[in-house]
Amino acid sequence: MSSTASTITALAASLRDGGSSPRELLAKTLAHIDATNTRTHAYLRTTRELAERQADAAARTLRANPESAPSMCGIPVALKDVLCVDGVETTASSRVLGGFTPPYTGTAVQRLFDAGAVCVGKTNCDEFAMGSSNENSAFGPVGNPWDVERVPGGSSGGSAASVAAGDVPCALGSDTGGSIRQPASLCGVVGFKPTYGRVSRYGLIAFASSLDQIGPFARSVEDAAIVYATIAGHDPRDSTSDPRAVDDPLLRLRDGVAGMRLGVPKEYFGMGIDPSVREAVEAALRVLEGLGATLHHVSLPSTEVGLSTYYIIAPAECSSNLARYDGVRFGLRVEHPALIDMYLRTRDQGFGPEVKRRVMLGTYALSSGYYDAYYRKAQKVRTLIADEFTRVFADVDALVSPTSPTAAFPMGDRDDPISMYMCDVVTLPVNLAGLPGISVPCGFAGGLPVGLQVIAPRFEDSRVFRVAHAYEQATEWHRARSPLAEAAA
Amino acid sequence: MLARLGLDEGERERFGAQLEAILDHISKLQQVDTSDVSEMAQVGELVNVMRDDVREPCLGAERALSNAPAGDGRHFVVGAIQENELDG
Repeated sequence: MSSTASTITALAASLRDGGSSPRELLAKTLAHIDATNTRTHAYLRTTRELAERQADAAARTLRANPESAPSMCGIPVALKDVLCVDGVETTASSRVLGGFTPPYTGTAVQRLFDAGAVCVGKTNCDEFAMGSSNENSAFGPVGNPWDVERVPGGSSGGSAASVAAGDVPCALGSDTGGSIRQPASLCGVVGFKPTYGRVSRYGLIAFASSLDQIGPFARSVEDAAIVYATIAGHDPRDSTSDPRAVDDPLLRLRDGVAGMRLGVPKEYFGMGIDPSVREAVEAALRVLEGLGATLHHVSLPSTEVGLSTYYIIAPAECSSNLARYDGVRFGLRVEHPALIDMYLRTRDQGFGPEVKRRVMLGTYALSSGYYDAYYRKAQKVRTLIADEFTRVFADVDALVSPTSPTAAFPMGDRDDPISMYMCDVVTLPVNLAGLPGISVPCGFAGGLPVGLQVIAPRFEDSRVFRVAHAYEQATEWHRARSPLAEAAA
Repeated sequence: MLARLGLDEGERERFGAQLEAILDHISKLQQVDTSDVSEMAQVGELVNVMRDDVREPCLGAERALSNAPAGDGRHFVVGAIQENELDG
């Protein structure tokens, strides 16, 4: 059985009944990556040795007790290269971290490993997860499996492309302003950003700590829910990790949307949306209506200033987090006898242009003369944005919208920073408010995938899965396979 | 200088123009009325999360230094800090 055609649930069943073994599945997966990676460049490195050890351990678990083996036992996964794995080079796609080998494994990744998952490699991404096209990677861009001349979205472009290319059934990414949902949309796969505080950030290379969350890519909503259920939950090593018990997203996954009130935020259908994307999403809304949900027009008036708010808060936090890359404790050092010049040279040669722009923007917004006008002001508008969501959720159960205003665009198409920032205009408000959100395939625009975004109140992650699952099961979009996946199968 | 980036002349010019355009774009924030709004630093409800003050295992010096560009087995090694260099 090829992993190309399969979901976690199908692969797990085959592993349990002995139809295939973790080693066989691993060998097929690595061969598949060999065939696709020359076109996508989704992987910065594969981790064969680690994967073989994990596959053998999974085989022992399956042999000992196939029925009680955890759901991820023997399942191949790919990890965005911002996630630390003990002994595996982790670079965040930056020259400044070239050769960095973490001495520990992050919590979300460890939970996947404890559940028997097999890590096949580290995926390419925008440098330090800053970008919407994966073109900011210091190690080269990623090709979209639907058209390798186009971007896969970003920043988790490699993880999205790998799932879309049929390499792995699931992968982890991180989402600070849309970095899971937007590439999922552009690559035609499912991508989920959990409620802020649900998944531990311990072992995630920090970009903007009040916005970052780790989440899954998968080929079905159920698979995304399985991975989420595996990685979610309180972790004392992350002080923003929430101690509340996580409700099982699979329990009510199949309860449907009949009687649900779904809000359609009118601002999310403006903002430079491509007419064919709008058409696909409006058709999806009619499907949800056909399933018994009622649609309600709602307004989130601060959406227009969300982008400005985000592009102060995220760079401010990034400038502080990236101060640690100073050539002293890890990564690149460009030698100079004077310490200050060593810092300046290391950071100038270590960081790419987008990271430099954001570090400068952030230090500027936090500097004493401009703090009130920029950073403090943005923090206040952030309150307004979060309050608007709260008000809207008093009247509706969930929100539905496009994930991205456009489908995948050609590489090199957006060379000015502001037009690139517009990619995340309907995903980043979700991070500012700490809400759970998903992108699920909902059709095509000019032959390229389009995603439907579902957003719910904080800690209602299960509701997001339930709405997305109902939609997915009523349509065939999630079965569509990219040309690259077809060719490699 | 705050950013600790040693930019060359070309970078200064290019980034200068780009940052000006970005700042111009985000200045629309100033039009939002926030007179009765408090700041939000984080979305969570958790405040001052502490752990018990007990010793736990941690990385030893050898592992902590394993990625250092320069170390002496016990410490990170850096160049001299010279006051007059700080103006650069």
